[in-house]
Amino acid sequence: MTAAVEFLNVSRHFGTVRAVDRVDLSIAEGSFFAMLGPSGSGKTTCLRLISGFEKPTAGTIRIFGEDMGEVPPNRRHVNTVFQDYALFPHMNVRDNVAYGLMVRGVDRRSRRDKAEEMLSLVKLDGFGDRKPAQLSGGQRQRVALARALVNEPRVLLLDEPLGALDLKLREAMQDELKALQRRLGITFVFVTHDQGEALSMADRVAVFNEGRIAQVGTPSEVYDRPATRFVADFVGSSNVLPPDLTRSFGGPECWASLRPEAIRFAPAAEARATGRVSALRYLGSGTRVALEAGGQEIAVLVPAGNPLPAVGDRAGLTWDSDALHLMEGA
Amino acid sequence: MESAHPARGAFDRMTALFWRRPKLLTALLIAPPLLWLGVVYVGSLAALLLQSFYSIDEFSGIVVPEFTLKTYAELLIPSNYDVIVRTVTMAAAVTLASVAIAFPVAFFAARHAKGRWKAVFYLGVMLPLWSSYLVKVYAWKLILAKEGIITWAAEGIGAGNVLGAVLAIPVIGGNSLSTSYIGTFLVFVYVWLPYMILPMQASLERVPTSMLEASADLGARGWRTFRSVILPLALPGVIAGSIFTFSLTLGDYIIPQIIGSSRFFIGQAVYSLQGTAGNIPLAAAFAVVPIVIMLVYLAVARKMGAFDAL
Repeated sequence: MTAAVEFLNVSRHFGTVRAVDRVDLSIAEGSFFAMLGPSGSGKTTCLRLISGFEKPTAGTIRIFGEDMGEVPPNRRHVNTVFQDYALFPHMNVRDNVAYGLMVRGVDRRSRRDKAEEMLSLVKLDGFGDRKPAQLSGGQRQRVALARALVNEPRVLLLDEPLGALDLKLREAMQDELKALQRRLGITFVFVTHDQGEALSMADRVAVFNEGRIAQVGTPSEVYDRPATRFVADFVGSSNVLPPDLTRSFGGPECWASLRPEAIRFAPAAEARATGRVSALRYLGSGTRVALEAGGQEIAVLVPAGNPLPAVGDRAGLTWDSDALHLMEGA
Repeated sequence: MESAHPARGAFDRMTALFWRRPKLLTALLIAPPLLWLGVVYVGSLAALLLQSFYSIDEFSGIVVPEFTLKTYAELLIPSNYDVIVRTVTMAAAVTLASVAIAFPVAFFAARHAKGRWKAVFYLGVMLPLWSSYLVKVYAWKLILAKEGIITWAAEGIGAGNVLGAVLAIPVIGGNSLSTSYIGTFLVFVYVWLPYMILPMQASLERVPTSMLEASADLGARGWRTFRSVILPLALPGVIAGSIFTFSLTLGDYIIPQIIGSSRFFIGQAVYSLQGTAGNIPLAAAFAVVPIVIMLVYLAVARKMGAFDAL
């Protein structure tokens, strides 16, 4: 099967900055793909390379097998939901949604019908006559979605789609986007710096760091078996252990990741390691306990309702032997 | 221990007073400009409007301070009416030409020029405004004169007959560029262009790049994006600029006096009527014409949705 989007050794340099550096990537058709990374890691540039707003300095980008080297954005079967939504303020919601159809010369009547259909798809029936300025942030985002979907793209790109929404709305939209993608069956590619968002929505996640892809995999692969120190730290703030500490924790001498929620407190006799409690951070659903062990800070996540140590206590720690994930390549 | 510092002098007490009564400060700040605008500015406009409803006694030449529409009727006499049509046509032509020339300049400055180039742009646009208007107009008279550089250059490249053909066009042509409507037009466009470029550039600068990208993303080519997105969003700036170019041309009486055929424009008519002729009511009626035209223009622009994107 041809991939929906394929990057072959793609680079994009801005002056001396390598925003995207020799990236190889394949996004399967019909998948919900997340590009995850901190700001400046190259994920947004990759998205813009797919939409055509950036041209690669080197390498080849294919969409459904076709080389996009000479294809401008307006001729790609790809549409984008912009981070700031980029709704046209002088047009009402219906005209915004129907813009792609107007551009293609669809007649007024069909345009109207199709726009109403798209608005009902994003649950905005009856909002057609309003101006974007009269809508809430969440509603604007739905309009942007409807507008991008009206051309029936084969790939939908979403740039930090939920970034501007408040927490409650964000969670609701996560489920909705996921359901929409399943219903339409088209490829969604979204960019986010929020690891929770990437893990909960995507089928596959690419973790970006400094213009390169650090790891690609399913959410659980990326979370449970991080390939590099960066991935371990960025996705779920794992404890990243240097080789000597891994060894003193009972492993071989190499970098390792130990998830805070995999560690439990234990009596000294059963403990695999000990540490001195340096800080407690209350999180509501639990408490994050920071300990000093082997010259490094180790975080332990204690679920709510369990006994907590006090700052300054010495505490024994234990974990299941498969919890220590080794990162040979790191 | 005390919980507040004691007041230190008059300024402290004044600050405290303004804090207790914030409206007092607003009132003090707004009073002088309000007086200026209200009395000096709007007041004189009202006086102007009032004068235009008076008439002049044909025998004695004395202003009769009684309400009449006679003076306005005089505007419709062919010789007066011609002045109005001539001025409005010129103002419209100057405005359209300014839009056409200013747009690419403003677009480049707003969307592509960065850092140093932006400074160069501002300097280039503003620099002509720093020299005297009269100096520029007289300079143009020399440039456009029969013995001037344009005639010389046209003949030098063998285009003398082209210039001759342009000047042979009836009405807008003439003996030389400096004595034709073409010359008047060119100088008007030159002098008012910065007033079109600056507001246009400001409004284009406010159009986010993502909006142009969204248009392209949805399949639009450059021209469609220009027509459906850039132009509507830049329209408030275009209207603001055209208010300047249009109303400044409507009111100017120096450029058409120095450059062009010696036929009157509204400004010249007002100037001569209130001076030697002493016909203040007719001068006032003439002066009301541009005001009415601008009000109609703004109403139409508003109706057409020019300010929707504001």
